[in-house]
Amino acid sequence: MNCFILSKNNLNDFLAALDSYELFVPIRKNGITVLAHIDDPLAIKLDLTSQPYLVKQTIFPQTESLFTFDRKKGIKAPSFETNHKSQVVFGIRSCDARGFCIIDPVFEEDYPDPYYIHKRKSTILIGLQCIEPFTNCFCTSVGGSPSSTEGLDLQFTDIGESYFVEVITQKGEEIIKVTAPFLSCPDKNQSVKKDEVKKDAEQKVKRKIDVNQLSQKIEQIFEDSVWSDLAEKCISCGICTFFCPTCYCFDIQDEIIRGKGKRLRTWDSCMYSEYTAHASGYNPRPTRMERLRNRIYHKFKQNIDRYGVSGCVGCGRCITLCPSNEDIVENIETLQRL
Amino acid sequence: MMENPYIPHQAVIDRIKQETTGDRAIKTLDVKLQNNASDKSFQFHPGQCAMLGILGVGESMISIASAPSQNDILTFSIMKLGRVTSEIHACEEGDLLTIRGPYGNYFPLSDWKNKNIVTVGGGIGQAPLRSVIRYVLDKRNDYGDVDIIYGARSVSDLCYRDEFEKLEKGNKVYVHLSIDEEEEGWKQFVGFVPDNLLRIKPSPNNTIVITCGPPIMITLVIKKLIGLGFQDTQIYTTLEKRMKCGIGKCGRCNVGSLYVCKDGPVFSYQQLKTLPET
Repeated sequence: MNCFILSKNNLNDFLAALDSYELFVPIRKNGITVLAHIDDPLAIKLDLTSQPYLVKQTIFPQTESLFTFDRKKGIKAPSFETNHKSQVVFGIRSCDARGFCIIDPVFEEDYPDPYYIHKRKSTILIGLQCIEPFTNCFCTSVGGSPSSTEGLDLQFTDIGESYFVEVITQKGEEIIKVTAPFLSCPDKNQSVKKDEVKKDAEQKVKRKIDVNQLSQKIEQIFEDSVWSDLAEKCISCGICTFFCPTCYCFDIQDEIIRGKGKRLRTWDSCMYSEYTAHASGYNPRPTRMERLRNRIYHKFKQNIDRYGVSGCVGCGRCITLCPSNEDIVENIETLQRL
Repeated sequence: MMENPYIPHQAVIDRIKQETTGDRAIKTLDVKLQNNASDKSFQFHPGQCAMLGILGVGESMISIASAPSQNDILTFSIMKLGRVTSEIHACEEGDLLTIRGPYGNYFPLSDWKNKNIVTVGGGIGQAPLRSVIRYVLDKRNDYGDVDIIYGARSVSDLCYRDEFEKLEKGNKVYVHLSIDEEEEGWKQFVGFVPDNLLRIKPSPNNTIVITCGPPIMITLVIKKLIGLGFQDTQIYTTLEKRMKCGIGKCGRCNVGSLYVCKDGPVFSYQQLKTLPET
């Protein structure tokens, strides 16, 4: 694996050298740190110390057009031309990159989804190694790690005055080529420092869940009254799903003005009763209990059944953001005690 | 270049038949795919569904009610309930719909050769069963007796009434209709579908039963069938869920770890009973 050193002073120049790409970086906006599309890296202030939000929308936008139509002329399908600008997403965390890996098979299998697949293929993911865990991180319990490079093309590790840059994939090499003037070779001490930071970070993750036999447990206690207890606090706001790196459920809606319009795909949430409501009025998941149970089932049973891997990356964002203090770590503890 | 599964074909409404009237009216539509899309892209099996839609309104997953032998015409029976189905009901012959599919698995009819087939349907749930019945009649010598048990709330809610009369003529097809409450002039069974099933008592011997209707009806029918001595592997149903994509991605139609759109809609009771309820 190729490794480089980037002085922190050169970070904005490094990003500015990526001007042939659409660039997404973490910046502070409306009180949270989000991955935002920027034009001029030299004019912005990066936030590399907070847990970034909405990383998934760089590849799976909150709203995107599936096609446009004219009721008289018919449908105009989009083309997925390869000359479209590739994008670079900088400063995401290991859990975010793993999140994409976990939802990839959903969009790839059986009926490949060209919208997701095209964006995924033309996106380069540059990760930033977590030094300290955020408030509710538990990635090490669910197969992840703050140092994981799964899904990343490059990984940056803060080693003091500079970043240690590891090249993970061929796509990562592409970035190295255009930023070479700002990079140098690491010395032995820098390599040792990087390894120390990584090891430290893994040990600092304190919140844990016990996933041993969890999917069997969820199946066994599917009809238990515990789910109602767990859902007592939930207000069905859906914030856990919108900010979850692996929640991908969507709605499809048409927008039409004077005979012309588009079919849009937008994020949806399994926390909403309308999500499953039939036109007849029948609803298989009418209350918060069924919906909260379904979300935990999907992450810790369905995803394992379908793809062999837990659907939770342990980022803890659903806990941090929940307005009613639902805590998936505590909820799993409660389930495992039964 | 990969195909785009979200782009529908256009189809023209060839014929509309008003099956029932009222708040929850049902119309049967024959639609014809445009631009020769039918030849290769729309090969289907009984039990499969298609996404029907109107540009600017949206799409609904509807089961195909015709038999595959019916060449370039696809038949759908649609109850007027939500936004999309109401707009489809407002369409006239010659209007355009959009169509994607066919989706989902299907009844393993080739495994059922030489068996007797019993269908137990309620209301609009008869639509996918119509496809099975028509398929079996197309290959009449491959299958045994056909019993059609079908009920609706009232006489005016029964679909395909004219068709049932024709079906019964010397084809070893027996039709057993029911309505929920007494009506003047009705000579057949009065009561719920599961009770009509108990009255008819089909023999489990060399027989497959397929049931489709409201969830509560399906549950009761299966219970009665088990009581009549049917094995779990002899009972099939087809499920309905709210769907948006139809291709196992939008997330909402799961039963346990399976998606009704893609892994279903057809399930044997043997499979169904291993799945959690919602």
